[in-house]
Amino acid sequence: MSAGSRIQIMKEVGPPAEVIERFNVREMTGTHAIGHTRMATESAVTTSGSHPFSTGADLCLVHNGSLSNHNSLRRTLRREGIHFETENDSEVAAGYITSRLNRGDALKEALERSLDDLDGFFTFAVGTGDGFAVLRDRIACKPAVMAETEDYVAMASEYRSLVSLPGIAEAKIWEPEPATVYSWSLADAS
Amino acid sequence: MHREIRTWDLSAADVRALNQSLHDLKPGMEDTHWRILSPEGAHAIACGLMVPVTVEIDGHVGYYCAGMNKDATVIIYGNAGVGVAENLMSGMVHVQGNASQSAGASGHGGLLVIDGDASARCGISMKGISIVVKGSVGHMSAFMAQAGDLVVCGDAGEALGDSIYEARIFVRGKVQDLGADCIEMELPADEREELAALLERAESSARPEDFRRYGSARELYNFHIDHAGKY
Repeated sequence: MSAGSRIQIMKEVGPPAEVIERFNVREMTGTHAIGHTRMATESAVTTSGSHPFSTGADLCLVHNGSLSNHNSLRRTLRREGIHFETENDSEVAAGYITSRLNRGDALKEALERSLDDLDGFFTFAVGTGDGFAVLRDRIACKPAVMAETEDYVAMASEYRSLVSLPGIAEAKIWEPEPATVYSWSLADAS
Repeated sequence: MHREIRTWDLSAADVRALNQSLHDLKPGMEDTHWRILSPEGAHAIACGLMVPVTVEIDGHVGYYCAGMNKDATVIIYGNAGVGVAENLMSGMVHVQGNASQSAGASGHGGLLVIDGDASARCGISMKGISIVVKGSVGHMSAFMAQAGDLVVCGDAGEALGDSIYEARIFVRGKVQDLGADCIEMELPADEREELAALLERAESSARPEDFRRYGSARELYNFHIDHAGKY
């Protein structure tokens, strides 16, 4: 379900604990990871409707929110040759970013442009080959919280999801601003 | 009066049991001081309280902490998630860290003090609560605020007081911009005294004369008889 050499996408329908067990997530190692559980609102609960969606080589997207112009945008993007497998609105956001990157935008530019072209609510987390990016729409009603320490940076919908991280009690905890692209890469960290 | 401090460790007991124990308290009961350990971002801690109990929470809390409370005092030694003190009726809630969005939403009374920053929609649809934020507030704060006071010692984000009714807003720092029908107005001496009293209750050292006052121009929600023919 992924393209590229650094990011692997695994998804399945079922209780998160069982899915984690099935893919042996506990044994995995790496530099960064995105996990997502979906409460479906816009389309069916299926494996293909689950997040993350691939947005190109070593890129993937998870989305909290709902997009209202996904049908018209999907039609436009299909004419451009972007392939869609579902009727899911989040897949359209991924397709949109793929399209922008194909046209030569840098990831930051593509995300900034999405603020104007996507109607609806979104908090995005985008996994890249060497890091990740976060963007919230201008209204920012979909939550996001960041935790930073000397050793890591983490993002979640709420603090509850971060409590098992080491040193979380001393971490800097903050909320990303609306309409602002944040990105982190291993290159910056070294 | 003997004041026993009861300690609850939320790593060992769930929030539902804690809240039930707090709801079972009757006025005059001795267990009026509680200390909650390991909240770890759990939701709805110490909400729906009806008695003058003091609850101290030792860490970060999740959504809707201390919501709907009457008479209680809740002190959070950490950050608060979405909707802290939402629909507060009376009493006090003190967040010693930062608060997420919709802090004090639709609060009817009481005092919410946030030592750090509050993010978007602080005091949305407030109906009589007093909110003192020692840091800054995010966008759309006091949206459709009907009554009560929002005091911001730092800055305010975009669209402050959009569609505001009769709540009062006091800001010491910069206001990014004002929402529809929200205007700056005079800060008369009697209101300045009320602001001073509120700052004192919140243990803020900010000086009332440094604040600007914002409120409703009353052009958006008022029916103008002169315009009756246009409706």
